[in-house]
Amino acid sequence: MNAEIVVIAEVAAEGQPAPVSLELIAFAKSLRRNAAEPIRVFLPGRGIGAAAAELARLPGVAVTGIEGESLASYSAEAWKEALAPLLAARKTRFICVSHNANGADFAPGLAVRLGAACITAVEAFRIEAEGPIFSLSILKGKLQMEIVPEAETAVVTLLPGAFRRGDAPSSPMDKARKDGTNTTQNETVLLPEEFRRKEIPPTGVTTLKEKKSEVQGDRAGPPAAEMISVPDIPLKTRPLGLLPAPDEAADLAAAEVIVSAGRGIGGEENIELLRRLAFLFSRAAIGASRAVCDAGWLPCRYQIGQTGKTVSPRLYIACGISGALQHLAGMRGSQYIVAVNRDPQAAIFRVADVAVVEELVSFLPLLIAACRKHREGAAEAGR
Amino acid sequence: MKILVCIKQVPDAEAPIRIGADGRSFAVTGGAWRMNRFDEFAVEEALQIREAFPGTVVEALSVGPARAAAVLRRALSLGADEAIHILREGEEEPLPGEVAALIAAYVRDRGYDLILAGVMAEDDMQAQTGPMLAERLGLPCATAVVAETIPPNGMTIRVERELEGGLREALEMPLPALLSLQSGINRPRYPALSHVLRARTQPMMTVRAGDLPAPPRRERVVLLFLPAPAAKTLFLTGTPAEKAERLAELFREKALL
Repeated sequence: MNAEIVVIAEVAAEGQPAPVSLELIAFAKSLRRNAAEPIRVFLPGRGIGAAAAELARLPGVAVTGIEGESLASYSAEAWKEALAPLLAARKTRFICVSHNANGADFAPGLAVRLGAACITAVEAFRIEAEGPIFSLSILKGKLQMEIVPEAETAVVTLLPGAFRRGDAPSSPMDKARKDGTNTTQNETVLLPEEFRRKEIPPTGVTTLKEKKSEVQGDRAGPPAAEMISVPDIPLKTRPLGLLPAPDEAADLAAAEVIVSAGRGIGGEENIELLRRLAFLFSRAAIGASRAVCDAGWLPCRYQIGQTGKTVSPRLYIACGISGALQHLAGMRGSQYIVAVNRDPQAAIFRVADVAVVEELVSFLPLLIAACRKHREGAAEAGR
Repeated sequence: MKILVCIKQVPDAEAPIRIGADGRSFAVTGGAWRMNRFDEFAVEEALQIREAFPGTVVEALSVGPARAAAVLRRALSLGADEAIHILREGEEEPLPGEVAALIAAYVRDRGYDLILAGVMAEDDMQAQTGPMLAERLGLPCATAVVAETIPPNGMTIRVERELEGGLREALEMPLPALLSLQSGINRPRYPALSHVLRARTQPMMTVRAGDLPAPPRRERVVLLFLPAPAAKTLFLTGTPAEKAERLAELFREKALL
């Protein structure tokens, strides 16, 4: 039985391995039953030699760069055509893909082509005797689902940031760069910041400890990436290139206080209430969840989240935001989070410091009045 | 042109959810089910294409138990021409691989020029059914589509996909093709009265899932659970005015006001 775990890596715009790929490699390492199990990184693209070599310096991984004219720009069709034959021949246990725009695009089809199980948007996992049990959010984070593959091979997509590099001494990439070699160093399996501790049920949890002193294999000389090329096959999909991001205007990055609107505000007319609240703070700005921008209640430059802006203000007031992971990805770093939502099960409450279960439209005027009173009180006292 | 829109019935996002006795399914208090929001964009996009290409037929399809007929009625009331219900009994939600296989079995050789789906379902959030269906049918596919145009000859489709950080990627594909649509691609309309009246009585096609080839099951749901509440979260109590007062005090204490 082949115990190999495969990682499908990608190249960032600057020709370096994408950060999500490093996260994926750390994830793949934690899925191993023991440290001797091989990790194979596939890197499709054109002109990816440097990135492949960079990845090959990481401890404990073997790298195959897949070069091809058809891989010059991403398309699901080209990726599946290049990857499926290579993967079908390998009988891999897990194929790890990032759940980003491209990974989520090609991974499900790849799984079908390989007859593999497919588990997407994975946030955490626990290891049981029979293998890993993956968990993911459903119903906008109201529930967690635990799911296992029931096929020889499973394609697993990992939500970016779910398995973030912790405060480990340094990333393997940095280490490899510094040491210039990876034949002697011990390997540290990177753990996520908190490993989603609070979202894993208290019983039956296997906590992953750092696995140190892993078998490295005594390779002679510096590791090198294997490079293969795929034939130039005709594709139906024709990539037409990237389009620039729409205009950037809102002062979200600089704001110390963000009052953010979700679908729960009920309508465009209630944005004014949020503006009035924001007006009471200095350096405040209005933000929004994707749903609000989609509905046209605010322009898309106000959007905070995975496909919008990432913010970390001193105070984040989430108004009627359910707390889908895509939104949390953009505001989790806020120092103090206040959430107002009428749904007591809303996922936003799990990241909030202060939770208010109320109807926004009636609560915000009360809050605005109370804040005014406190400001005036402070002004009086200061005189 | 013949367009198929795949839609799913999901629980209302704000409805209270309970975990079923089996630990693997969920129940919605009050039976508050609705059309997956992402699929509303798919229905709207299909209707807009029909407006641009007269003679186009828009068919809506859903896999689910008897209650799922409600979202097909909704699609008809929005203006879809036909509705196909793949009736799959059982409260446990089918996984995307199974749904894609069922739809593929029905759709194959029916000559659709374009298949549209939402980018994901709001409930399981797996974003798999669309690209899996495309793979099963051998169609080119683009996911998270935020814009599409079909040139007048109706032979190809040009799409823009949403990438991270606001970037977009443009692609051109020949038809037939499958797109999964990201929210915000359009503004879904409200049902017109004439359509609502027609939708009430219009028959739909029902296909029993059991009459289609058995779909594969390659994943198994082990357990659903409620995430533990974060220990640090302070839930304010009292009347709304008391909560507002306490929150203002907290802002003051933290020197935020």
